[in-house]
Amino acid sequence: MPTATETFFTELGKRGHEPLLRRVTGSIRFDIGSGRSVQRWVVDIDHGDITVSRRGRGGDCAVQTDTETFDRILEGHDSTMAAYLRGAIGAEGDPELLMLTQRLFSESAPVAAGRG
Amino acid sequence: MADQVRILHGNTFVVSDDRGDIEASPIDPSGLFAWDTRFLSTWVMTVDGQRLGMLSVDDLQYFQTQFFLVPGTGTVYIDAKLSVLRLREVGDGFRERLEILNHGEDPVELTVRIAAGSDFADLFDVKNAQQKKGDLYARAERDRLVFGYERETFHRYTTVTAQPRPEFDEQGLTWTVRIKPQEGWTAELRVAPTILGYGGKPVLLAPPIVDMAGDLDRWLAEAPHLESDWEPLHTTYRRSLIDLAALRFAPLSSGGRSLPAAGLPWFMTMFGRDSIFTSLQALPFMPELAATTLRELAARQGTRLDDFRDEDPGRILHEMRYGESAAFREQPHTPYYGNADATPLFVVLLDEYERWTGDKALVRDLELEARAALRWIDEYADLMGDGYIWYRRRNEQTGLENQCWKDSWDSISYRDGRLPGFPRATCELQGYAYDARVRGARLAREIWRDPEYAAALERKAADLKRRFNRDFWVADGEYFALARDTEGGQVDALSSNIGHLLWSGIVDKSKARAVARHLMGPRLFSGWGVRTLAVGERRYNPIGYHVGTVWPFDCSFIAWGLRRYGFKKEAAQIAAGILDAAEFFGGRLPEAFGGYPREVTKYPVQYPTACSPQAWSTGAPLLLLRTMLGLQPLGDSLVVDAALPAGLGRIELLGIPGRWGRVDAFGRGTVKVPPTSSLRPSLAAAGR
Repeated sequence: MPTATETFFTELGKRGHEPLLRRVTGSIRFDIGSGRSVQRWVVDIDHGDITVSRRGRGGDCAVQTDTETFDRILEGHDSTMAAYLRGAIGAEGDPELLMLTQRLFSESAPVAAGRG
Repeated sequence: MADQVRILHGNTFVVSDDRGDIEASPIDPSGLFAWDTRFLSTWVMTVDGQRLGMLSVDDLQYFQTQFFLVPGTGTVYIDAKLSVLRLREVGDGFRERLEILNHGEDPVELTVRIAAGSDFADLFDVKNAQQKKGDLYARAERDRLVFGYERETFHRYTTVTAQPRPEFDEQGLTWTVRIKPQEGWTAELRVAPTILGYGGKPVLLAPPIVDMAGDLDRWLAEAPHLESDWEPLHTTYRRSLIDLAALRFAPLSSGGRSLPAAGLPWFMTMFGRDSIFTSLQALPFMPELAATTLRELAARQGTRLDDFRDEDPGRILHEMRYGESAAFREQPHTPYYGNADATPLFVVLLDEYERWTGDKALVRDLELEARAALRWIDEYADLMGDGYIWYRRRNEQTGLENQCWKDSWDSISYRDGRLPGFPRATCELQGYAYDARVRGARLAREIWRDPEYAAALERKAADLKRRFNRDFWVADGEYFALARDTEGGQVDALSSNIGHLLWSGIVDKSKARAVARHLMGPRLFSGWGVRTLAVGERRYNPIGYHVGTVWPFDCSFIAWGLRRYGFKKEAAQIAAGILDAAEFFGGRLPEAFGGYPREVTKYPVQYPTACSPQAWSTGAPLLLLRTMLGLQPLGDSLVVDAALPAGLGRIELLGIPGRWGRVDAFGRGTVKVPPTSSLRPSLAAAGR
């Protein structure tokens, strides 16, 4: 069964154009996981047109985090900004790109569910 | 506690006593703060073991202070042959220059020490005296002293360095100094905060600061130039411009552009409501603040449903925080969305900004966000399904109960003091929703080229206005109720909120005179300004935060509202009262002052824990200037229709920026206001 992270990038690749990012152009590299199990996705955004690939180097912004943190963000149990301030997610290069794209990370947080 | 001296830049600030010393207690907001974290809580200078006494303190700039000191405290100085200067400048942390002068005829040998330490309190710990959950450390090295705090991957530290090199220990730094007669000794210190991010690498949360003095000069030079016969207005105007410069805040994604933070010391961060209101006030003076506010709030607009952060799609944020409690989700501020007014006000600001600047490109750029904000009003704010904006927090632990500007627990009450249940629909929110639709319709028609959407918004606005004037009108009192309750009843206290209704234009013309009469009547008007809650209401208290004090920001929007409905004299009277009050505060209006009648206290009594400088108080004199001069954009020109209090004499505001380029406005004080509120002529103007 795919993780929340894998599902997210698969779905993101099918989105094509994302109006929320129409002012954004740049490339973000996600290295998620630790040690040998790091998985890489490269998200290219051209005025909101999104393409996702599994290969690539560089990127205007290199995002690093572990699978659990990213899954929790996608599930709405954590937020990108909180994790960034905590040192649980990193953004080298242009961190603005991470802040602008994080709005896509979760469609919905748990609503009316128990909170920690 | 000694008088507190504050210097600041962006969200970095230092609060010390008048000797320059910092001795913070867990609940005392002194120290070096950056990004909602206290990076220094102890910073005490001694010479030969003795504390210093203050001779004078000069705030050279908002980011720079100089302390003139002598060893010893009290009235008799033990050794008046030495003087000590501390010059401190805030930037990325702070720099301090120590200078000791030997005025005597013999050489001296001194032990100069600075005791230093940090508790790394989160700003919310300082407000609530919380215990730390992680580990503090201190490390004295050969060339520096490091204080740090770690909790899991969260890591903040402070580095203290100095030239010439002192002896560092874990509690401070010490020099042994010899100074010849008539000579001096100097040391340079630097205190630098560091935030470590992922993998232990330092992260920047804002662009680096460069050339603060030059930047302030440019800021002042770009603002319109004011001439007035009434001298105190110069002081107030200049103070406002400088404080606004100091309160500028450049968030991470802004590319170095600034928006107004809300206030010092607790609110040096982005607030939807405060940043919008302040940008509106400053539009005729510094329109670029509005552009940044709009862009940054749009970039963080809500996209999902999240109970913890009270987030909805389209909602504009309430508050952003960067400290430990936000990082560990003990507070919901990354960002928190729990407010019901910033979303309609976002659209109001976008329209007003375009009217002044003609910047259609930004309006086109933010079309989606503006539409999402307008959709939020219909789909997410109407909790009772009756066409009004309501609020009720979904985060019941750390969310805000009152999501309007009067956000304290007891601010919304019936005449008899009872508090309504939730959700609540306060009246001014309906005004903002009306105004947002009317203005959104203009943008849709003229810029987005969508006449059908414009017509739909206008229909909704007209319908809201009709229902509002029926449902909120308190017939026996002839004013609008403070709020509507869930049974459809009126929360019937008389409050300053009715002034915002005039500003929004939701009030039927036939009802406006009665509203203006209340605003200027003895129950609401104190002689200085309009009380938040009227005398005679059960919860009225002249020093109650939102239940009787006078808020300069509130009054500035009320004055704008009065002008909108043609009440020039009344607007001038409020302007006169608030500007008179500003003179008592040296040109810097506090967040709020007491609602005591002016003829009783003679001077405005500052609210005990009011924030100062506070952005929307700083902006109040600017909006009052606009209001008194009757400045209104009309197509590509600026209309001037002055109605000034007689005591002001002549006013010239030169070089007002806008779509017309730069134009000048002139006015002469002709409006006679009742004696309790007339500006006293200054000495300079007495002979005229």
